[in-house]
Amino acid sequence: MSETLKSIGFALGMCLVCGVLLTAAATGLQPMQEKNRLSDRQKNVLYTVDLASRDKAYTPEQIRDIYEKNIDKIRVSAAGEIAEPAEDKAGDGQVLTIYLYTKNGEIQNYIIPIESQGLWGKIYGYMALENDGSTVAGFTVYEHSETPGLGGEIEKQWFQENFEGKKIVDRTGRFVAVQIAKGDVDKRVPEEKESHYVDGISGATLTGRYLSKGLEKTLSRYEPVSLCFRKQRLSCRLQEPTDPGEK
Amino acid sequence: MKLTRTKAFKTFAGPAWYENPINMQMLGICSALAVTVQLKTAFVMTLAMTFVVSLSNLIISLLRNVIPGNIRIIVELAVIASLVILADEFLRAYYFEISKLLSVFVGLIITNCIILGRAEGFALSNPPHLAFVDGLGNGVGYGSVLMSVALIRELFGSGSIFGYTVVPERLYAAGYEDMGLMLLAPAAFIIIGLMAWLQKYLVNSRK
Repeated sequence: MSETLKSIGFALGMCLVCGVLLTAAATGLQPMQEKNRLSDRQKNVLYTVDLASRDKAYTPEQIRDIYEKNIDKIRVSAAGEIAEPAEDKAGDGQVLTIYLYTKNGEIQNYIIPIESQGLWGKIYGYMALENDGSTVAGFTVYEHSETPGLGGEIEKQWFQENFEGKKIVDRTGRFVAVQIAKGDVDKRVPEEKESHYVDGISGATLTGRYLSKGLEKTLSRYEPVSLCFRKQRLSCRLQEPTDPGEK
Repeated sequence: MKLTRTKAFKTFAGPAWYENPINMQMLGICSALAVTVQLKTAFVMTLAMTFVVSLSNLIISLLRNVIPGNIRIIVELAVIASLVILADEFLRAYYFEISKLLSVFVGLIITNCIILGRAEGFALSNPPHLAFVDGLGNGVGYGSVLMSVALIRELFGSGSIFGYTVVPERLYAAGYEDMGLMLLAPAAFIIIGLMAWLQKYLVNSRK
């Protein structure tokens, strides 16, 4: 009996020590990790519009400088109009966040955050679209839990560069989104649809399927914004000045 | 007494060379395949692994007389897991880029059989200073194999060392190409196999 008690006591003491230690480490390092995550997200926004190169290393300060100089974060209502920050609380799906890359006073790209289901967890990333409202300018993934070497390839440059120049609308102007093909596009997809498909990852069919679905869902939610860009190009109401405190 | 005759040195040299965890005992192969595409990741993995195995050996050896026998594996795992999480949190705070490259493999140090093996097989029955040295030896033994494999894979697979290009442009112009196989896991398998063969031959011929 006393043997059992001793074991239980030891286990409890062990839990306490490990728990306190890990909590202290996690809380102590959290601000630093938060900063890294924020910088990583800003860097990924920059990747989609080629303001930063994947081959170069940047300090968090450099990233912040380029980001703040070029990118504006704004909120628009589901109908495609600029929303007051107060509307943010109106509930999920009511207000959309977009990032604008402005150069010489003209919007070059709008960047939408991607949140998709993956095979093992959520996939987070960004997709930049040209100001014509139909061409993909860039795509990145900054967080996922897919299998390294298989679905994990979505974080690789070759896969992400795949997306550049693809169209989210067909020739008649109808919304079709971008899909991930099962294998190489030129072998798997009929020619007239090639501009809506990107090369898939072999061994990661399910990741591709989930990401295709997630992209379609996100892009269709942002369709009013895209429509606005398609119809009016730069005179789209989105270029109204935004609250600088919103970054 | 010569340094090489001391018990501490023998404890260190054993796992570092004669009983090398990867080449001689065939342990920890999974992570050796996964993180050896680049020297940088292999180096950080080596540091993290050495940190965990030497400290877990030290702590478990310090506690060896009070750990109840019937829950010892759980206690060992709790110590190891805590150290691994500490290492992971630290990397995420200070070396974010590398921690992203290593992805799940730092967390998977918990399941690395070298660590539990040393805790169970050595630390439970030896005094703290020897256990710590044994952990260091294992870390160095594991790390030296990792770094050698990573050096070969990065040099022939990407033409660089620690991210710096070393294969001259002229060679590429003359028709040299990087070896794609080196970037894939099977390459590590082949290299580790050859290295194990070489080391077994060297160790046996000394006897």
